[in-house]
Amino acid sequence: MSLPRGFLVPVGVFRSVASTHARAFPLSRRLQSSHSHARPHSTPNYLESADGLISDLSVRKHRHAPTPHKFDAQGNEVDAYKGGPSAIDKAVHLFFFTEIIRGMWIVLEQFFRPPYTIMYPFEKGPLSPRFRGEHALRRYPSGEERCIACKLCEAICPAQAITIESETRIDGSRKTTKYDIDMTKCIYCGFCQEACPVDAIVETQNQEFSTETREELLYNKEKLLANGDRAEAEIAANLYSDHVYR
Amino acid sequence: MLSLRAARRYSSARVSFTASANSLRRYTTATPEASTDPATYCRGLVRKHDYESFLISKFWPPELQDGYFAIKAFSTELAMVQDNVSVATIGSVRMQFWRDAVRDIYADKPPRHPVALALHAATQAANLPAYHLNRIVDARDAELQADSYPSSDALVAHAESVSASVLYLLLALRGLGGPADLAHAASHVGTAATLATLLRALPHHALHRRLPIPLDVCARHGVQQEEVFRRGGAAVGVVDAVYEVAVLANDHLLTAREVFKGSGGKVPAAAMPVFLVGVPVASFLGQLERVNFDGFSRQLAVRDWRLSWRIWSGYYRRLF
Repeated sequence: MSLPRGFLVPVGVFRSVASTHARAFPLSRRLQSSHSHARPHSTPNYLESADGLISDLSVRKHRHAPTPHKFDAQGNEVDAYKGGPSAIDKAVHLFFFTEIIRGMWIVLEQFFRPPYTIMYPFEKGPLSPRFRGEHALRRYPSGEERCIACKLCEAICPAQAITIESETRIDGSRKTTKYDIDMTKCIYCGFCQEACPVDAIVETQNQEFSTETREELLYNKEKLLANGDRAEAEIAANLYSDHVYR
Repeated sequence: MLSLRAARRYSSARVSFTASANSLRRYTTATPEASTDPATYCRGLVRKHDYESFLISKFWPPELQDGYFAIKAFSTELAMVQDNVSVATIGSVRMQFWRDAVRDIYADKPPRHPVALALHAATQAANLPAYHLNRIVDARDAELQADSYPSSDALVAHAESVSASVLYLLLALRGLGGPADLAHAASHVGTAATLATLLRALPHHALHRRLPIPLDVCARHGVQQEEVFRRGGAAVGVVDAVYEVAVLANDHLLTAREVFKGSGGKVPAAAMPVFLVGVPVASFLGQLERVNFDGFSRQLAVRDWRLSWRIWSGYYRRLF
C-alpha cells in the first residue's frame, strides 16, 4: 500500500500505518499541510496558506531561502536597498539612541512612583484568605473541641507530620489524648484541613512562628488549641469568604 | 417574623473579649447559637449555605424541623466537599467518613459530628431508609471523580441521586414514604432542583474548570469546554446549551405538576412542605429566561427578593 504523495496524515490516526510501512514519507510532514510542499523552492506565501496554519518549523526552514532577484526592463538587476541607510546607521539610531532614552524614561517614571519596599516587621504585605500558615485546632462556640479523632488528617498527611492517639470518654465521645504536629516535617500542603470532616484542624494566616530551638516546633495539642483560640475570629471569617453552596 | 430578625442580628458573628476563668479561651464568638446542640448547628449551616431551604423550613411543623435541618445539613455538607478539597482522593476520604458515619448512625453509635448526631436523632424519631443517605454519598463521590457528565441521561441520573433522595427522605420524615405518586413527583422535582442548582452555579464551576453541562448537549451546540472556561458567557453556543438544560429542568417540573392534575394541581397539604422546593426552582428558571438564558449573567447572582413571598403564597395555594 502506498499513500499518495500529497496525502495529509492526521497525527495519531495513521501513526501506526506510517510506522509499519517503512516510512513512506518523512515524519516531519505530519505537522504541515501538503500545500507548502508542492512548491518547495518558491518563497512560501503564508497569507495564502489554505488552512491558515503556520508552524514555526516551516518559518525556520525557509529563513535561509535566497532573496529573489529583481530585474528591470533592460535586464539589469535592481537593488531594492540601494541609496538607503546602512545597517550600522540603522543600528546606531535604533539601538543606541532610543534605547538610552527609553531606559532613562523608565528611571524617571520610577522616580515619581511610591517605593515597592515595605518595612517588613512593621508593615506587612497582603495575604490570601487561603494562605496556609501555622496550624490550629478549632473549638465549637461552646468551647468543646471539634476534633473527633477520626485520624483522616494523619492518614492523608504526605509528610507524616501528624501523630494522634485517642480514647473514648465516659460520655461516649472519642477525643484525642495526643495530637502532635512536627512543624519541621510539615510541607504546608493543606491536605489535613481539606480532609477534616469537622473543620477542626486548619492552617491559619500566621507565618511568623520561628523559634530558637527545634523542640519548640514540635507542636502538641495544647499549643494547637491555643493557636485556634487566638485566631478563631479570623479563621471563621476566612472560611465564610470561601463558601458557596451548590 | 420578629424572632427571625432578632436571630439575624445576633448571628452577625460578633467577637467579644470575655475574661473567663478559662484562660485558654480568650476570644469567643458571642451568638445565641453558641451551644453544642447539633440541631442548632444544622440550622446554622443550612441557613448560611442553603438559604432557600432555610426559608422553606418555616413551613415544616415545629416538631419535624430538627429532622428537616438534619437531612438538609447532611446534603449541604456533602455538596460542599467538592469546594473544600483540591484533590479528588481527599474528597473520597471524606466520603468514606460519611459512609462510615451512616453505617454507625444506624448502629446507634454516631460519630461526634454535629450533623451525624442530628441525623441520628432524626432516624430515632422517624423511619428514614439508610439507602437514600448512602445514595447521596455515592453520587457525590462519583461527582468528585468525574469531570463532566457524558450525556443528559447521566446528568439526570446524578440529579435524581442527589436531590430526589433528599426529597424521599423528607417524605419519609413526614410519614409519607408510602404513596407512589408522591415519590414519583418528588423524583421529578428533585431532578429539576439539581439541574437548576447546577445552572445557577455555572460561573462558579467554570471558574474551577468544571462544566456541569452534559457533553452531548455541548456537542450539539458546538460548545468547547476550554472556551467556556476562558470566555464565560461569550463562548460559542453556551447560551443554547444552557437553554437546553433549562428546558430539561422545566420539563421535569411540569411532569411533577402533572402528577397532581387529579386534584387541580393542588399538592396534599401534608406533603406541601416537601414540594415547596419546586418554588425556588421555578423562580430561578424564570430569572434565567428573563436574562435570555445567559448563564453567566450578573443578575442571576442576586438573590430573588420575591422568593419568600412566593414560597409563602405557594404554601397556602398548595402549588409549586
